[in-house]
Amino acid sequence: MKKIFFFLFIIIFAVSSFVAAGYRELFEKEFLSKPWGSEIKIESACLECHTSDAMNIELQQIPQDWKASWHYQNDVSCHDCHGGDSEDATMAMSHKRSFTGKPDHKDVPEFCGKCHIGILKTYVESGHGKSHIVTGEGPTCVTCHGSHNIQKVNIDIINSQRCSQCHSYERAKIIKQALFLTDKKIVAIENDIKVLKTKGVYPEQEEKSLFDTQAKFRTLFHTIDVSVIRDKTDFFTKKLNVIQDNLKATFGELSFRKKYSTLVMLLFACSWIIIFLITRSRKD
Amino acid sequence: MWQKIRDGVNIRTGLSELIDNKLKGYRVPSDTNIFYTIGIVTMAAYIVLAITGYFLLMYYVPHSEHAFGSVQKIMTVIPFGWFVRMIHIVVANLMVALVFIHLVSIFFMGNYKKPRELTWLIGGLVLLTTLAFCLSGYLLPWNQRSYWATTIVTNIPTAFPVLGDFIANTLRGGETISEITLTRFFSLHVGFLPPVFLILVGLHMFLVWRIGLSVPPLSSSAKEEKPWTGYRPVSYSKSYPFYPNFLLKEVSMVMIFFVVTFFLITFMPMLFLPEAANMPADPLKTPPHIKPEWYFLAPYQMLKMIPNKFFGISIQLIAIVIFLFWPFIDSGEERNILKRPLILGVSLILLAAWFVLTVMGRYS
Amino acid sequence: MDRRNFLSLLLSVFGTGAFVSFAYPLIRYLAPPTANIKKIRLTFNKSDIGDAKEILFQQTPTVIINRPGKGYIALSRVCTHLGCLLEYDKLQRKLVCPCHAGVFDLEGRVVSGPPPKPLLTFPLRVEGEDITIG
Repeated sequence: MKKIFFFLFIIIFAVSSFVAAGYRELFEKEFLSKPWGSEIKIESACLECHTSDAMNIELQQIPQDWKASWHYQNDVSCHDCHGGDSEDATMAMSHKRSFTGKPDHKDVPEFCGKCHIGILKTYVESGHGKSHIVTGEGPTCVTCHGSHNIQKVNIDIINSQRCSQCHSYERAKIIKQALFLTDKKIVAIENDIKVLKTKGVYPEQEEKSLFDTQAKFRTLFHTIDVSVIRDKTDFFTKKLNVIQDNLKATFGELSFRKKYSTLVMLLFACSWIIIFLITRSRKD
Repeated sequence: MWQKIRDGVNIRTGLSELIDNKLKGYRVPSDTNIFYTIGIVTMAAYIVLAITGYFLLMYYVPHSEHAFGSVQKIMTVIPFGWFVRMIHIVVANLMVALVFIHLVSIFFMGNYKKPRELTWLIGGLVLLTTLAFCLSGYLLPWNQRSYWATTIVTNIPTAFPVLGDFIANTLRGGETISEITLTRFFSLHVGFLPPVFLILVGLHMFLVWRIGLSVPPLSSSAKEEKPWTGYRPVSYSKSYPFYPNFLLKEVSMVMIFFVVTFFLITFMPMLFLPEAANMPADPLKTPPHIKPEWYFLAPYQMLKMIPNKFFGISIQLIAIVIFLFWPFIDSGEERNILKRPLILGVSLILLAAWFVLTVMGRYS
Repeated sequence: MDRRNFLSLLLSVFGTGAFVSFAYPLIRYLAPPTANIKKIRLTFNKSDIGDAKEILFQQTPTVIINRPGKGYIALSRVCTHLGCLLEYDKLQRKLVCPCHAGVFDLEGRVVSGPPPKPLLTFPLRVEGEDITIG
């Protein structure tokens, strides 16, 4: 009797499954296409053409360069700088959607300065900026940072290869030395914050304070003025020290926690041993 | 003086008679193995969760704006808040593992057979309640991991035709996870599920106590067991008193459980807290490699692998029904699993499949 | 003392120790957080503030702005994007972030740019010539 039920059940189930088999396409469309179903990111419309073989080689290289960049890691895409419609390929390069295309060399600072306004202000007043305004051929953002493969800022962007394009490396070296210690501190704090995050702490205030300090410090470099940098180094070092002290306190707290839970664990382990001994002694 | 208090209580409640008959007089078969204690350890885990959960409740704020911040406050500002939260997380995961171990050991010992079918059924419901606890509790910290893992799991019912969307939307209170989901899950986790769990576990323990512990089927005294025709108090050829002997065994296992818990808290505190668990939930940004929690990985992986949507979800529902009513399907009297090679083979294959699916779900 | 009693004594010692190591954190946990109870208040004279003044309130860089026709407001200067400090643009009546050009209006709402959330505001009271924050 039970066996009959069982088999009937299996048959009904198998039949209805085949009938409902058409759900596969629906499933793939709705379930697997969601970002958490399988990792598909919605791509900008620009990439459709710029990655295809119909495009000339230089323009094909651009999406690859961009995908290796810090901008890509932070969801800054083609239209954020160049304008155009990122969702509609037919309007992707339309002036009606404020498409600006590739800026001329003389327009580069303002192009990047659309977002990086603090740096633009400092640059324009610097030796580099002034020479660029006068000649139209001075060093711009792209000269040091590149255009699409822009990496996260680090002190080695200042190197003999880059800076000796127009003049001797000596002056750049002096500035790099002036920046060196503070930059090292910034990197150390960034690493500490990363370590803390793996340990479950979310140091929001320190992270924000660090970002503001390092942004201001790096903006300072764009003055290309060693005396200014030397003057302000003290101010920045003090701020960084405060952040470092807070982080040190957090590390101290973490080691206290480890010690405390070890203590509790040992207490329970000892209790277990004693109970085990009691059990043994009571083998009635 | 102690004796006076005891006498006073005894005159009014007859407590010592109760202890003598029901605790000291309660016999436990001699050949019990450590798996017989897992049930009580699970109960101890639940009590720890209830206590730590109650303390967390004092500072947690169930609103999407403040949930993450309140949990961070518990972890960093409140004295020993980290202690309470870490215990809650580790013990919650250990409790699921314990329930699974308890289930598997009962299965392999055939201890679900007559007269214990009802105990198994209620135990199965306890498992489902535990998983509901886990699902609802996991969303509460409102971090990237919990938001997106819950998104995945609440989308699993959509695989069911016609009713699927309705079920998923009722669960979530909408098309996507939002504040409504948070408060809904919070009320489930804190208000509805605890009494349900306690009632089910109370029934379960009552049945276990009332029928009496089973004799392990592979032991020598199992051969002397008589078939169960009507309710009768059990008697064993070899047994020892529940109090203090078996109780000591249970307490010893609870101690080991605590040692394991604090070992994990000390040396592997991030085991259940991946990086994404420390970032506030961002409905617009999916973190890479998001997966449900380990206990849901096997069903999730199965769903991903079976291309027929309806087939995938219904096979799991049917598996749950078969699981709950298994003692009525496998109602033969033989409890020794070595004498039932078919069941042994199939169950080992299913167990291995569960492990494989879980590992696949983790690494795919 | 025989072995059984000794073991029972040891058990009570360690058991109590284990219990206290559990109970002590729970009791400390219940203690009201004293630091948060103290409500810090700062008072300024209207003439100190002028059109706008940058202050430090509860360790957060803040700006008090005298909005023409709308009264005073105390806004956090920490940009909700990545934490840079905002600058007050009096002419354009907005707060601008020099890092990635996030723009906030004088209510603290995001106007443009990458910031995801509005600015934190602090409770402010005007009493005659005095302005109190907090």
